[in-house]
Amino acid sequence: MSTFQLQIITPEKIFFEGNVQRVIVRTTEGDVGILAKHEKYVAALPSGPIKVTLEDGTERIAALSGGAVKVSPSQTAILANAVEWAEDIDIDWAKRSEEDALRRKEQSKNAHDMERAELKLQRALNRLRVSSMKQ
Amino acid sequence: MAAANMKAIKRRIKSVESTMQITKAMELVSSSKLRKAKERAEQAVPFFNLLYQTMSEVASEAVGFRSIFTELKPEGAALMVVMAGDRGLAGGFNLNVFRKADERVKELKAEGREVILMTVGRKASEHYQKTELRILGTFDNIGETVTTYTALDMAEHIVHLCKEGHIAMVEVFFTNMVSPLVQEARQMQVIPVPNLERNPGVQSLTNYEPSPEAVFDSLIPQYLAGILYCTIVDTYASEQAARRMAMENATDNAQEMIDDLSLKYNRARLASITQELTEIVSGANAQN
Repeated sequence: MSTFQLQIITPEKIFFEGNVQRVIVRTTEGDVGILAKHEKYVAALPSGPIKVTLEDGTERIAALSGGAVKVSPSQTAILANAVEWAEDIDIDWAKRSEEDALRRKEQSKNAHDMERAELKLQRALNRLRVSSMKQ
Repeated sequence: MAAANMKAIKRRIKSVESTMQITKAMELVSSSKLRKAKERAEQAVPFFNLLYQTMSEVASEAVGFRSIFTELKPEGAALMVVMAGDRGLAGGFNLNVFRKADERVKELKAEGREVILMTVGRKASEHYQKTELRILGTFDNIGETVTTYTALDMAEHIVHLCKEGHIAMVEVFFTNMVSPLVQEARQMQVIPVPNLERNPGVQSLTNYEPSPEAVFDSLIPQYLAGILYCTIVDTYASEQAARRMAMENATDNAQEMIDDLSLKYNRARLASITQELTEIVSGANAQN
């Protein structure tokens, strides 16, 4: 199966760089699978899982906390605010931030605080969900 | 008398020596922190370039592209994010950025815009709490530990206020580490997004989902978070570099003082020995 160059980068580091067979991202419109020679494409990504099928066929899952995907003929890049491999997720920390987000949601006085707490909750839930998906 | 003088000099040497030990230690701590901070600042560059490039492409390729983040509205406040250090003892590091920011506050007020502040670093919050400006948020002691999550949280807050129309422009005041020896206080316009290329009429081949505008607007929090993260890290690195330099100078000065005092001490010792000798000799002469 033909492969293509994938780069996942965050402000802190280049998280992943290499040839892959396929990557599946969750966009605002639904899951999108990207194979080699995909058309030029840009989409916003909310918090959700990324599934990467490596050159040798092994599949890896990562939790993405918001970002965007950009497919160009030369390479595919995922710009991530934060991203972690499923096996590296600190479950205790994710649970704590889930509780924290729930608390903030309850205490929120206006729609804006509510919205921010909701985003935080989504990120925490996504990390927990992805972490339970690991093989 | 000479003996008392000698004792006083000895005590001063001791005290300068112990100060020097502290400045030397602070210098070493700052150099190691600087190294780590520099690495972090450099790692953020590729992400940011790609993000900005993507945003430029969206803005230039999409026909009839419009976004509230690219045009300056006449009403709405100006948000200034001022970044300084958490501690002093870093030469003019904190003052330089305040000077720049204070000037801008005056300018904006003269234009008739309301100014709102967000401060990063304890020194910045202390500085602006004394003024009458409205402070939206203070972020103390985050330079060393800042993560993208912190930056994103700040960014989402700001973006929300922009969408509501409370804030029309955002500027960041930070210190850029040009080199370990040179740090420069800078001002950066963030919103409206500057320097986006525009060539309307060129139909894009890129498929944007759900729409170019939606993609652009969803990139804004990331863009802002990216800028905040980069500038916080850069400011932190500058703070360490400035402190390292200030402490190096302090150590050198202490060394100079010790040399000077040692010379004085030796002179006093010599004088007292000479005096004692003269006394003994004249005493012996008197007996003969």
